[in-house]
Amino acid sequence: MAESEASRTATFAVGLASTGLDEVERQIPRDEPPPLPPNAELAVIGKSVPRQDAFAKVTGAALFTVDINLPGMLHGRILRSPLPHARLRALDLAAAARHPGVRAVLPVAQPGDSLRYFGVPVAGVAAVSAQAAEEALALIHAGFEALPFVVDLDKAREPDAPPVHDSTSAPPGNSSGFPAPAGLPLNGNVRGPALMQRGDVARGFAEAEVIVEGAYSTKVQTHCCLEPHAIVADWREDGLTVFMSTQFTAGVRHELAEAFGLPLARVRVIAGAIGGGFGSKSSLGNYGRIAVGLSRAAKAPVRIVLERQEEQMDAGNRPATWQSLRLGARKDGTLSAISLLSYGTAGVTLGAGVGGIAAALYTCPNFESAQYDVFINAAPGCAMRGPGNTPGAFGLEQAIDELAGRLALDPLALRDRIDPSPVRREERRIGAARIGWQRRHAPGAESGPVKRGLGVAQSLWPANVQTTAACEVRIMRNGSVEVLSSVQDIGTGTGTVMAQTVAEVLGLRAQDITVRIGDTDFPPGPPSYGSRATASITPPARVAAWRVLQTLFQEAAPFLGVAPEALIAHGGRILVANNPGRFMLFGDATARLHTGKISAAATRSDDYGGFRRRMPDAALALQDLGGVQFAAVAVDTETGIIRVERVVAVQDCGRPLNPKQIESQVHGGVLMGLSYALFEERLLDQHTGRMVNPDLEQYKLARPREVPDIEVVVLEEYRGQSATDAYGIAEPANIATAPAIANAVYNAIGVRLCALPMTPAAVLAALGKIPRRGELP
Amino acid sequence: MRNFTWGQAQTVMDAAAAASVTVADAMLSPPNTNGQAGASIVKAGGIDLLDLLKEKLLTADRITSLKELPGLDVITRTEDGGLRIGAAVTLANLARSPLVLRHYPALANATAHAASPQIRNVATLGGNLLQRPRCWYFRAAEYRCLRKGGGHCFAIHGENQYHAIFDNQLCAIVHPSTAATVLVALGAIVECADAMGAARRVRLEDFLVPPDEDVHRENSLRAQEILTAIELPALNPGTRMVHLKQGETDSFDWPLADVAIVFDLDAERRCKRAAVILGAAAPVPHRAKAAEAILLGRIIDEEAAKDAAHAALADATPLHKNGYKLPLFETLIRRAILRAAADLHA
Amino acid sequence: MAEANTAVSEQNVPFAGAGTAETVQLMVTVNGVDRIFDAEPRTTLAEALRGTLGLTGTKIACDRGSCCACTVLRDGLPVCSCMMLAIEANGHSITTIEGLAAPTALHPVQTAFIEHDALQCGFCTPGLVMSCAALLEHNANPDQEAILDAISGHFCRCGTYPHVMTATLAAAAKMRGDDNG
Repeated sequence: MAESEASRTATFAVGLASTGLDEVERQIPRDEPPPLPPNAELAVIGKSVPRQDAFAKVTGAALFTVDINLPGMLHGRILRSPLPHARLRALDLAAAARHPGVRAVLPVAQPGDSLRYFGVPVAGVAAVSAQAAEEALALIHAGFEALPFVVDLDKAREPDAPPVHDSTSAPPGNSSGFPAPAGLPLNGNVRGPALMQRGDVARGFAEAEVIVEGAYSTKVQTHCCLEPHAIVADWREDGLTVFMSTQFTAGVRHELAEAFGLPLARVRVIAGAIGGGFGSKSSLGNYGRIAVGLSRAAKAPVRIVLERQEEQMDAGNRPATWQSLRLGARKDGTLSAISLLSYGTAGVTLGAGVGGIAAALYTCPNFESAQYDVFINAAPGCAMRGPGNTPGAFGLEQAIDELAGRLALDPLALRDRIDPSPVRREERRIGAARIGWQRRHAPGAESGPVKRGLGVAQSLWPANVQTTAACEVRIMRNGSVEVLSSVQDIGTGTGTVMAQTVAEVLGLRAQDITVRIGDTDFPPGPPSYGSRATASITPPARVAAWRVLQTLFQEAAPFLGVAPEALIAHGGRILVANNPGRFMLFGDATARLHTGKISAAATRSDDYGGFRRRMPDAALALQDLGGVQFAAVAVDTETGIIRVERVVAVQDCGRPLNPKQIESQVHGGVLMGLSYALFEERLLDQHTGRMVNPDLEQYKLARPREVPDIEVVVLEEYRGQSATDAYGIAEPANIATAPAIANAVYNAIGVRLCALPMTPAAVLAALGKIPRRGELP
Repeated sequence: MRNFTWGQAQTVMDAAAAASVTVADAMLSPPNTNGQAGASIVKAGGIDLLDLLKEKLLTADRITSLKELPGLDVITRTEDGGLRIGAAVTLANLARSPLVLRHYPALANATAHAASPQIRNVATLGGNLLQRPRCWYFRAAEYRCLRKGGGHCFAIHGENQYHAIFDNQLCAIVHPSTAATVLVALGAIVECADAMGAARRVRLEDFLVPPDEDVHRENSLRAQEILTAIELPALNPGTRMVHLKQGETDSFDWPLADVAIVFDLDAERRCKRAAVILGAAAPVPHRAKAAEAILLGRIIDEEAAKDAAHAALADATPLHKNGYKLPLFETLIRRAILRAAADLHA
Repeated sequence: MAEANTAVSEQNVPFAGAGTAETVQLMVTVNGVDRIFDAEPRTTLAEALRGTLGLTGTKIACDRGSCCACTVLRDGLPVCSCMMLAIEANGHSITTIEGLAAPTALHPVQTAFIEHDALQCGFCTPGLVMSCAALLEHNANPDQEAILDAISGHFCRCGTYPHVMTATLAAAAKMRGDDNG
């Protein structure tokens, strides 16, 4: 642990607060603050302070992108392909352009182009009213030549299936973290495999005393953000300003600069309130490009808000997957080999893998996986809350449950043997007590038509860090404090935890901090995806606040007659550490500033102790995030209805910054997982390739009456890895829910449901209660 | 949505005259945008109508509101001890009406949980009965299906998990009204009035139109006619009724299956009269005649309920994705019969 | 609130009158203030509130009555403003999220939503607040079933329902004057 000019040694408390903390020494940069004590010693961090935007949101004052109304603003609409696969033969926009209300038309596809899914944009119009834009759409003459198509994952794999892509149109690769690297072979519609391998799997299976095998499938889930994808693009001679409901203002700014050949400095992206994203609002999107193109052509601001049908059809979705898992184990449960094969489809794009959870969750020396993407003529998938690992866990955690059954081991005892994580061990212990695991019976043991069961599953998610994340903290002479970053708050409470972090440093209350975020005029913040916003932005927020506080100390010290190093900030005061009777009110100290404001900025430094892996602009922390979830279900074996009665979610996210907000987010993760497990499925008509349920009516979802009793327990875990030691929770809280419910259903009825969603039809079929045709009563 | 002119009818005759065409007929011609004469239609709560207009399944030149018509939004006892429910009574008011709750609890139950409170505060019983089916092919402008004047039913070989298991050879819709399931079981009469002031009374069961009679409509409402009231006959003392429904979800969802049972039992618990009506099963509420026949004269016990439930499904013709409805209906029918019998002796 | 800069009725205009060939003139009491404005008959109440009247607190998320994000009160009853024509509000009283409480105060439901973190992204929140506030107008002591019924048509993808439940129970207790609500 050598100190240097740039770093010094600091001692961090590490471990779980509930089981006792240890200490570790780490090198930290000299220009960063000392270790943040555990929450018990803090005033603002770790407290459930109200959301900084709550007042605006409960009064309707919060401005979302759909609420932006600029002077002279036009309304954009998109003409979309009515066929799942077509060649555009003709596109005539003249009549639409002559509509008196129309100010611009924009071809998106050219005659000759292949249109590879139902709903892909063909052209855009901008008009003075939404009605005029809609009327203009009807005036566009477009000719389509129908081409053979395939919208079914299995049929697309057949050798004579209609090809979705040719070698030039196929996307080159997907770096978003779900195995779809560049350069993989494409055979028909099947691309891959992406391979992963360690040890000797053949030997592992040869040494196995028990082998379990299973195949699991998951369906396409749509994000269903309440606020549709929306943009207001304002193209002017001196630059482009875009208001957008986006999860990544800084990223969209780069995309815009590149797509439209603009200097970065001439592009500004603003995201006010954002009505949910869940992965689907991570980039500019086709509608975003169209809005900017229309604004450039019309020389006026253009707003595009997707209609709900467009939102459900072409705003991203969680890919469908099929996976086959084979586990080999010794009689004591020790895993000797895991083999995974998967085929998934993200429609016309890539990224339909089942993640890395099978490789990483349990100790197993021999592992192999082959993951394939399959193209179909369907709208492109994208990241959605725990991409890869969510469908991956649905397979893996059922296979582990199956293995426990075969070994006659309690599923928790098996995991105690094969799961190396001490954090999850504690989570299992806590969760088992809360759900009443000891009353779990043998599968299908209850008599009577309604059978109850308990299940458990685990979650794993890499702790992502955006290493470019930056933040500025300003203190004004009048005592007001601002924290600024382009990071956006999609509803997770990012702004609130930033305010808490800054307030803790400055000895103020969270509500004393003005949060100014979601604007690329501020230092570039991280994206709000990958559960990385908190881990990326709160450390630089603390560092920047600490730096600007040192400046304030220097200016205040002479008035208190001590050296700046003798001062601390606490309780709204600047006081002498070893003589708390000597102090100035924070506002009195700032009033003595030489300038109107002082300011400091910071960029996310590397994790203390280093990263596990680096990527461009991002990195993975040494440890993963996760959690353990328990579900209690009641299955009516005569109607096939599954009711989830109770869920206990025990989660970890490093240092919890705001327990109430974390609880809210875990509720969201559990409910999205429950909904995925029981209800959600994008249904494509096999004969026409159109989604038949692109709405919030026939696309079935969990709503208030489907909400179980949810108990959330969040561990307080310290790692000593950053200035706040805080990490995200959104995705870890979603991954384990569906397999926990599936395992509970198995425990209830003694039959395993290996396909999502677990509808009444699926349950009744699994129980053998649906007469086949020809054997009707 | 194309713009239209708006009017408010002050009399039933004016209202009927304003309905130049039925919604079903208006939807048979493909929507036009180039100024051809469109339909003149009437609107009460208008939830379904607005949905059709927004989806461009229907265009109207003129819409006349029925909300000013006197007497259409009241519930009264009839002279013979039955109930007369104005067609413009909202589902919310119907569900909380003391008269309905006391005498026809199954009807209150069927409407109390339909859609959402927001919808029930606006939607009317008349509109609920006249709403067009929820079949997703019917509801998408891209599909010119048989019911909209096109060539075939897309559901029969398509996505049909929520479709009919009876009478589904031509068109596989299910009737969308849950209230209708109970009203048919109760022997309700609908009253229509035409532009000349003439009233027409017809049993709801006969008012509803199965596909083989006319695949383009779900009821026999005529042009220049409006639905004015639904009348429920008086009940025999001791009549018991139960409505059970099962949706995929319990919040804001259409039923996968619903069942209305109405019984008259004699002193020995022997069934003197039985109505067994299945909703979400067929293009119109489906009377399970075989089940009714089994119950007639039987003492209602577990065995009778089981036999009746089994018989009810005997002539079902499930499609490739809705076979699960058979065990589901069998369960609901059995449970509904037993619940009705239990109620009787509670 | 936010009414000052818009046309406020001086005279009593009970029925639709003027308008143009395409539009009709409406008089709607919005948040206690009589508002006179022109609208096409096809304009939904949600569109009129958000567009003509600039009251963007009411949100459109599905535009088909399937999510209740657009809930407003018509004569005190919650309705989906996306499935009602503006013309059908003529002569009626409409309360939107902007008018639920006085500008300087919050409705107890709003306070409870803040205290219990019954919101995340906030897009469905105005509608949920309106439904829960309407419930408490008619039912001072709702049980969980009454609250579930009141919000059963709402859709919240962030999963705020558990906190909406606790917040509404707390608001009800507070409105009743229970000490430990």
